Amino acid sequence: MVKVFTQEHVYKHPWERVTSAFWRKFTDPENQQVLTYILEVDTLNRTLDPESGKLYTTRAITIHAPGPWFICKLLGQDTCQCIETTIVDARSRSMQLTSRNISFQRFVEFEERIFYYPHPENPNEWTCCRQETSINIKPLAALASIKDKVEQHLVEKTLQNSAKGRDVMERICRYLEAESS
Amino acid sequence: MSSKEKKTPSSTSPCAQLRAAYHDCFNRWYSEKFMKGQWDKDECANHWQKYRDCLSQHLEDKHLRRFLEAESGQIDGAATGRNIRE
Repeated sequence: MVKVFTQEHVYKHPWERVTSAFWRKFTDPENQQVLTYILEVDTLNRTLDPESGKLYTTRAITIHAPGPWFICKLLGQDTCQCIETTIVDARSRSMQLTSRNISFQRFVEFEERIFYYPHPENPNEWTCCRQETSINIKPLAALASIKDKVEQHLVEKTLQNSAKGRDVMERICRYLEAESS
Repeated sequence: MSSKEKKTPSSTSPCAQLRAAYHDCFNRWYSEKFMKGQWDKDECANHWQKYRDCLSQHLEDKHLRRFLEAESGQIDGAATGRNIRE
């Protein structure tokens, strides 16, 4: 059974500023001290479609994923490779991204879909972020006795890391706002 | 258990400086041009090429290399990732 949960947040900043902050989140060095679970971020592919105003990006994100002893023992390593694909539609002011693990796929499929779009009630000043996470732990014999614990651990980590990410985004938005005034 | 030494990305990746230069260029272009309706061209092509050439030389993970070499515009959020099996 796949565990699915959603988090929503409103940034009181325009969509352009929030998405600019998104790109800086993992690349500005000062954020590394907060987002300690991010080890490496590389841009593998980026394409601009000048006719549609759409920007396509693929990034490789290596995360430090330590867990309780039973997870470390099972996986044998504590880093996980993820792939993130993003589409920014500048014309319609929407951004969506999907991030999924490519390490450990025989054990778990972890996927996040994130949407950034102008707030319906205040589209010029506010931005909504909706984050949908799905966790599918594979029905392997080796996981049977610890499946619930693994799932719980992943949910907790996701919530913690998302909160850190939001804090960093808010800080970058404030910085960009100050810079532009 | 939690006192493992954390790897510092910028000190281990051979492409770190080129990557930083590219990201700086991109962040400026994104905020100052792309977000203001100027999307006729990507102004960071030079930085991108140098960074990408470095990745081509140093990226060992064969799963990741596929994304590096993938054709632009064919990257579909639904198709990537799940097709790459360990």
